[in-house]
Amino acid sequence: MISQTTTYVTRREAIGNGFARNRNTVRYTKRNLGSISQIVIVGMLTLIFGLIYVAEGTKATSFDYELSAVESEITEMNAKKEDLAVEKARLNSVATARTSTVAAAMEDATVTGYATE
Amino acid sequence: MPRNSIKKDNLKNNNSNVLKHRIKLLKATVFACVAIILVRLFFIQIIEHGSWVAKADEQHTILETITPKRGEIYMMDKGEPVTVVLNQTTYEVVIDPTVTKKEDIEKVANDYVKDYLVNDIDEVYNQTGLRYSIIAKNIPRNIAEQIADSGIPAIWLKKINQRVYPENELGSSLLGFMNSDGIGQYGVEGSLNDVLTGKEGLIKTTADVNKVALSIGNDNVKIPAEDGKNIVLSIDRGLERGVEEISSEIIESSAATNAAVLIMNPRNGQVLAMSSLPNYNPARYSQIEDASIYLNQTTDVPYEPASICKNFAFSAAINEGVMTSDTTYFNQGYEIVDDWKIDNAEQRSSLYGTLTMKDALYWSLNTGSIYALKLLGGNPNSINQQGREKLYDYYHNKFRLGQITGIELFEAEGMIPDPNEGWGRDSTYANMTFGQNVGLTMVQTASAFSAVVNGGTWYTPTVVKGYYQDGKITNPDDIREKNPLIEDKILSDETSAMMRDMLINNRSYKGDRPGFSIGGKSGTAQVIRNGAYDDSFSELVGSYIGFIAPSGEMPEYIIMTKMWGEGQSIGSGEAMNLFDALSGFLIDYYKIKPGAA
Repeated sequence: MISQTTTYVTRREAIGNGFARNRNTVRYTKRNLGSISQIVIVGMLTLIFGLIYVAEGTKATSFDYELSAVESEITEMNAKKEDLAVEKARLNSVATARTSTVAAAMEDATVTGYATE
Repeated sequence: MPRNSIKKDNLKNNNSNVLKHRIKLLKATVFACVAIILVRLFFIQIIEHGSWVAKADEQHTILETITPKRGEIYMMDKGEPVTVVLNQTTYEVVIDPTVTKKEDIEKVANDYVKDYLVNDIDEVYNQTGLRYSIIAKNIPRNIAEQIADSGIPAIWLKKINQRVYPENELGSSLLGFMNSDGIGQYGVEGSLNDVLTGKEGLIKTTADVNKVALSIGNDNVKIPAEDGKNIVLSIDRGLERGVEEISSEIIESSAATNAAVLIMNPRNGQVLAMSSLPNYNPARYSQIEDASIYLNQTTDVPYEPASICKNFAFSAAINEGVMTSDTTYFNQGYEIVDDWKIDNAEQRSSLYGTLTMKDALYWSLNTGSIYALKLLGGNPNSINQQGREKLYDYYHNKFRLGQITGIELFEAEGMIPDPNEGWGRDSTYANMTFGQNVGLTMVQTASAFSAVVNGGTWYTPTVVKGYYQDGKITNPDDIREKNPLIEDKILSDETSAMMRDMLINNRSYKGDRPGFSIGGKSGTAQVIRNGAYDDSFSELVGSYIGFIAPSGEMPEYIIMTKMWGEGQSIGSGEAMNLFDALSGFLIDYYKIKPGAA
């Protein structure tokens, strides 16, 4: 909503102010926003900025959740990797080889070469 | 004015006064409330600011230390590192008996953790006031997941970082173990605990109600943990296994209850096998009742290696140019020093008379090594200060006996007596020539012996080959800063060659494997009881040290054995049997080609 105020200038005042015949005169008009409009605009801007902030904040949080899920998955995979490494070490241990039925069924080597040959 | 009208005006004035009074009261009340609120706000925001911020942080901030992964330990096998100590995440089942229903935990016990129970459930529930009890331990991750998925309430699965030793007892005294606080004890786990532990990290971040870390906030901190280093030992896993099995067999066939073995490469000081029997499973260290089993007998325990020390006395005299293997002396079977009679162990009559020093070493005659000490002093008839000081210089300063060698393990310093301070120096030093009155560890003795036979260079013994990362063995810089590898030429090539010949001659009766030069020296030590040597020989400690080389070549391996048993008279014969068995195994294991000479 716009309100306007017109100020009438008398000829004497106009001459006093530098107005004269055959000169262009200008009518000055003050144009102000009303107080309700100002409140509404400020409110709208606040709302928009608020929404942008919330949207960005939510987006960051959702990324954090994704990150957290990925980190959990990494932890899980590392734990599985650890388990497999332990299993591999146990299977490769000399103690396991000695109790292996496959190893027990093997014959002792009778022909050997020398390491420096 | 009518009377009624006056009354009305009075009433109106009264009402107005009451209203004004009430408004004043309301104002005062509102003012008081606002004042109270302001004061309270002042207290909260100014006076109690710190504590309220802390409470708020507690609710929406995660502050945790990031535990680094403990380094793994490897041994060598056919030139490749193999894991012998590693980590695994396991779980404990923890309950609060006042909250957890007994039938629930019984179901968990029967369905999932029957093999992992550490407490009797009935006993746990019979105790009054118990709020925390561990029911099962060492539960693998997959079983823990099944328990978590079963939906049984009020059961807490606590994550534990467990150390795994897949080779069980193998090399236990060398490896040590990690205790329940996550701190390495004994062996490599203890001595290199700092390197294996790494550095803790820190995470401080804002979190939401689900305790999910959020990236918002200005005070978020994340310092990543620095994992512990993976250490590769120079120990050969197959050789270590063979050493322990053969040692067990020799123990079984003798009166000994203990055996310790050290195998080194004399050309660089690398230890290839290091065992102390009986051993233990580091994963079950808490079940050991006798803590001495944790000790590494090759580094932690000084003892008297007895006649093995003749090698060092003879080397000193030869290196000083005052003696050769053909130098002769008169053996009467004993020497009297400081009015104390020192006998030879070997008293056969054929040995009385003039003998060479080679004979003296062959028969391990104490009179021979005492003669070497006399020669060091420049007087073949008596021991003097010059001789003592020279022997001390060789024993302590050159062979580095009675001091820390610098191996990357806990080690005892041992002891070499001062040449001038104290009572009975001559007799003390006469005894030192055949390994009494000294306290030496096996690793000190073997390092010194390496110098005797390798051409005269003393090397720092080492069990660490390097760090293992991304499939590569790298130089362990920070360990080397603390334990530098020293290479010190202390004997001439000629001295070393002469000593090798005498040591090979020592085994001339053995009929060793053709194509190999095997030399060695035995040592039988008396045990000290009540401050004096036990001359009844009711308890003896047997030792043997020797080298193996293809004929005509420089030694590649040093083997030192020690056998003993409480109250048992274990001579050097048993230790030599162990040496013989190990030298044969070692030649076959490494497929060492016989020499041509």
